[in-house]
Amino acid sequence: MTTAAPADHTTAAAVVAVPRSRRQIWSLGGGKGGIGKSLLAASLGYQLARTGRRVVLVDADLGGSNLHTCLGLEMPALTLGDFLQRRVEQIEDVLVETGVPGLRLVSGASDFLAAANIKHVQKVRILNRLRALDVDVVLLDLGAGSSFNIIDFFLISDVSLLTVIPEPTSIENSYRFIKSALYRRLRGVAGNEAVRQLIDSALDAKNEAGIRTPIDLLRVVAERHPDAEEALRREVAAFHPRFVVNQVRDEADQRVGHQLVAACARHLGVRASYAGYVPYEDAVWRAVRRRRLFMADAAESRAADHIRRLTGALLQGETLPLPWA
Amino acid sequence: MGLSGPPSDHYEALGLGPGATQDEIERAFRFLEGLYAEGALATYSLLEPDEASEARARVRAAYEALADPVRRQAYDAERRPPAGPETAPGPDDVAGVAAAAPAVEDAPQAIPPALPVPAGPVAGALPEPPVPRPAPAAPAAPLHVASHAHPRDRVVPLLLPEPVTGPTLRRFREERGVTLAEISTRTKIGVRFLEYLEADRHSDLPALVYLKGFLAEYARCLGLDVKRTVDSYLSRVRS
Ligand SMILES: Nc1ncnc2c1ncn2[C@@H]1O[C@H](COP(=O)(O)OP(=O)(O)OP(=O)(O)O)[C@@H](O)[C@H]1O
Ligand SMILES: [Mg+2]
Repeated sequence: MTTAAPADHTTAAAVVAVPRSRRQIWSLGGGKGGIGKSLLAASLGYQLARTGRRVVLVDADLGGSNLHTCLGLEMPALTLGDFLQRRVEQIEDVLVETGVPGLRLVSGASDFLAAANIKHVQKVRILNRLRALDVDVVLLDLGAGSSFNIIDFFLISDVSLLTVIPEPTSIENSYRFIKSALYRRLRGVAGNEAVRQLIDSALDAKNEAGIRTPIDLLRVVAERHPDAEEALRREVAAFHPRFVVNQVRDEADQRVGHQLVAACARHLGVRASYAGYVPYEDAVWRAVRRRRLFMADAAESRAADHIRRLTGALLQGETLPLPWA
Repeated sequence: MGLSGPPSDHYEALGLGPGATQDEIERAFRFLEGLYAEGALATYSLLEPDEASEARARVRAAYEALADPVRRQAYDAERRPPAGPETAPGPDDVAGVAAAAPAVEDAPQAIPPALPVPAGPVAGALPEPPVPRPAPAAPAAPLHVASHAHPRDRVVPLLLPEPVTGPTLRRFREERGVTLAEISTRTKIGVRFLEYLEADRHSDLPALVYLKGFLAEYARCLGLDVKRTVDSYLSRVRS
């Protein structure tokens, strides 16, 4: 898998000052469009930079990049597309300032065709270069959907955040996203073709083995291919998405994060956690509409306050306590 | 999956350990009732209607067996003949991981502690005290990103629309929530000079050679194109 790819030695990376282990890749996925992934990415990036981290925001929404707008910037002249097309050699060449000390941006591809057909080697190239950047946090804003392009970025991240809003469509999509991501991960350790086929079949609702969830899949694998079970279990255990509930309007919305965690554990066998929530606020869309950086434009809003808390919690590895804890 | 398996342990059904307090039992029940309510957001797409009602029934049966201390005692006695002490579940078990998930041993990876932060007013504590802000101005023209890289540092700098004046610099800075105190810390330029610079109080600014240096530092701090910023600002100072 991409994580195991050898380092790209053609990288003329700057002198590495930060130990590699300190550097982190965070990603924000969500399965559905228009739920605030970009807004949250820009806001988390901003807050990380304001508390002294060196951050690179990456608009990995290759077909519909607009992260620059959340930062009050025009589409930069050079984007990830230029790097993908090898019009520039270094990822640093498409790194632009944002005006916030410590916060830089790699804008998404403006070239839609190039983006739609990104190949595995290109993904690996992007990831290797990003990993080689001399920064504290690389924050990826993923596009909508559960395509491999998106999932692969999600899976290589040290912190994989899943944005949801308290609406049925968003939640359905986030479950689909979780299953797709987990199955892709399992596929990487399947060991043999029969197990791989079983995993592939699991996403088909009418599969012959009656697999509907990762729990079912593990059971069937244990029955039919006991040798493969252990490796799959280990992957499932290591898979740890973190929910961020956006556009929260009341207490019931707030609880949705806990319900998702419980539902994932009980019915998917996935250990997720609830990182935090962000209230719905007019100040957010007002800032977006005026193409302003929300966190600075409405620094005193409740939403901004929650983003500051969320950032702190993520840095500490804290999660929201359960309702009765 | 677990739902069609053998009748489950009542504690497991509530995602609790045998040491749970009555209050925890009460709250876990309320939570799970919501989780499995008809059409509930988090479960309607995961469970068939009959599975959801089965889950509801299990949770209710568990609650009825455990909510009343007397019935609970009877259940406890029947459940487990005295044996070694059972370990209380961690908070994650409460969500039901222990009950249904396949062996999940590692705790979610904690993120390493906060990274070192530079000295200065930005460093450290969350949340930052809210700063009183001036009334929002008209929509800003988004900024252009220069098409060439700065030679010293490859990162592409930003270009402000010409002419670059004190007020345009100030607005750019404020839109990013950067304070003068912070720029002063980073550049070692006194806040007073930064204020003059942003107020276009040209006669109060130091000699041109110093001013040029100040402007360059200010621009670098905010990721602005140093040469274009300095040139544009100074063209108005001279005239
Ligand atoms: N907490 C919030 N309160 C109010 N409005 C919000 C909030 N979060 C997001 N929005 C609104 O939702 C819109 C969509 O947000 P954003 O562009 O970040 O979504 P996205 O998930 O990145 O979408 P896409 O999948 O199209 O990239 C924003 O323009 C903003 O107006
Ligand atoms: Mg987006």
